[in-house]
Amino acid sequence: MIRRAGVLSLAIAVGAALLPVLLPHPFALTITTQAAIWALLAASWDLLSGYTGQISFGHAGFFALGAYAAAAATKHADVSPWLGLLVGAAIAAAVGLLTGFPALRLRGHYLALVTLGLAEIIRLVAQNWLALTGGPFGIHDFRSFPGLPAAALAHRQATYLVIVAIVAASIAVMYFLCERTDAGRAFRAIREDEVLAQTLGIDTTRYKLLAFAVSSGFAGLAGGLYAYYVQLVSPSVASAATTSLVIGMAVFGGLGTLWGPALGALLLYGLYEGLRFVGVVYNLVAVGLVIMVFVIYVPRGLAGFRRSA
Amino acid sequence: MLESLLEFLIQGVVLGGLYALFAVGLSLIFGVLDVINVAHGEFFAIGGYLAFTAVVLLHLPGAMGIVGAAVGTFLLGLCVYPLLIAPLKRRLGGRPQGPLYLVLTLGLSTFLQSSLLAIAGGDYLRVPPQVSGVLDLGVTAVSSQRLLVLGVAALLLAALFVFLRFHPEGLAVRAVSQNPDAAQAMGINLPRVFALTLALGVALAGVGGALMAPLFNVYPAVGFPLTIKAFAITILGGMGNPAGALVASFVISIAESLSVMVMPSQWQNLIAFAVMIVMLLLRPRGLLGRAVSR
Repeated sequence: MIRRAGVLSLAIAVGAALLPVLLPHPFALTITTQAAIWALLAASWDLLSGYTGQISFGHAGFFALGAYAAAAATKHADVSPWLGLLVGAAIAAAVGLLTGFPALRLRGHYLALVTLGLAEIIRLVAQNWLALTGGPFGIHDFRSFPGLPAAALAHRQATYLVIVAIVAASIAVMYFLCERTDAGRAFRAIREDEVLAQTLGIDTTRYKLLAFAVSSGFAGLAGGLYAYYVQLVSPSVASAATTSLVIGMAVFGGLGTLWGPALGALLLYGLYEGLRFVGVVYNLVAVGLVIMVFVIYVPRGLAGFRRSA
Repeated sequence: MLESLLEFLIQGVVLGGLYALFAVGLSLIFGVLDVINVAHGEFFAIGGYLAFTAVVLLHLPGAMGIVGAAVGTFLLGLCVYPLLIAPLKRRLGGRPQGPLYLVLTLGLSTFLQSSLLAIAGGDYLRVPPQVSGVLDLGVTAVSSQRLLVLGVAALLLAALFVFLRFHPEGLAVRAVSQNPDAAQAMGINLPRVFALTLALGVALAGVGGALMAPLFNVYPAVGFPLTIKAFAITILGGMGNPAGALVASFVISIAESLSVMVMPSQWQNLIAFAVMIVMLLLRPRGLLGRAVSR
């Protein structure tokens, strides 16, 4: 079993590494690179909401924080993009940790609404703090990852590899945390029954805060990758539509598995972009339908098909 | 100073009428179904589009736009419980719902909003006001359209509270909101009450959309920011407490319009969320909330 999973992940890794050579088309590379960024965001949401059961409706906010922090650091202070990624992730993790404290007292609906409100506050600040965020036009004209080849196609191929490697490593870290450590068991215990987890001697406060910090930190890292890749950060990244898309991806892939939401993100983003050829407006209609149908009829998402097979 | 205070106060009260129409329905639905309707704002948008269809495309009088919006969103709302909520409820059985209804209505919101975009396009559509003219109050002038919003809101909400207090169906709604199991044991048809409550709640938003269409213009995403703000209002008023939502609507709207006197107006949308977060930390049950934990 473990060997089969090992072979499978090796095959995926080799396939992903060869993709820019096999499919050297700018459009394909753009879509796959962005899909990878979404996969990281969806997996980070799943760590907090799927594994630990703390529903965040504000992941667009953490994503935007990472994106804005990275872009602003590079634009205003000429911070190296490599360092900028860490800055974005650290700031998002810090805000996530701060959100975790009130979250200790809130459950279910209330937590979802507080995080939604937080994302909305971040969006409003992004839109109105002109000096730092550029207001409605956002931040643009900042440099991207240094040291990559200059030729257009080679640059895209190299950027793809860098981003996919960072995403894969991040998801692996989260997977290790959730599946191979005490923290992962504590996360699941909190999700299943928080009171019971407490009586079993699990320090639920500590693990909830940990889940908040790790999840929002990786969401911020995804935001930083997005900023350096797309080269434009505007307030709309913090909008509830972003969160909605991420939750749709996670539900599609299967909550509480990490790889499910990541896979769901890759496929749903592919569907979303693929439907552009049919008509730009139909892609979100499809996303809405996928969310509703999967929540009602396919509760374990794509991941459930593997388990039952 | 005093004059501008009065002016902002009046504008706040008018805005409060809209918030109340929106938030009372949301709160009613939560109280009865235990479902937070993330798609509430889309029914507001649909109300606006129905008013546009009636008045601009079919050349009907403005009042027909309001009636059309009410009836249309009510009928659409009737479908939501049997088609979406009930199947999920059946699958869950007695297990905890977690965030699933939130995610479900989030999906509905995305679906409706993008369907509107597919059908009507993303343009800002103008709807002529149902009433024209301005009322001069001395310190400030208020357009008749805004007064109409306030008047209709007051009328509908009064009717709703009378319905809930005296009409047998309204009593059934309140009984279910207090104790669904006991209500069912007394012979109340739960699915019927759930479907009716949802339809009533979203129809209030639909009427709001028709009334605000001349002031806001109509576009697919017009309702979503209101949904988010209405969450803040319902939390302030106490979740599932329509009377609390009514009071909280005016508290927030007046605070927002008075805030313009002390800070730049683009920040006024922050107030509702700041109030929501402070309220959840200090008094999660809301202004008028009962001390129960769900």
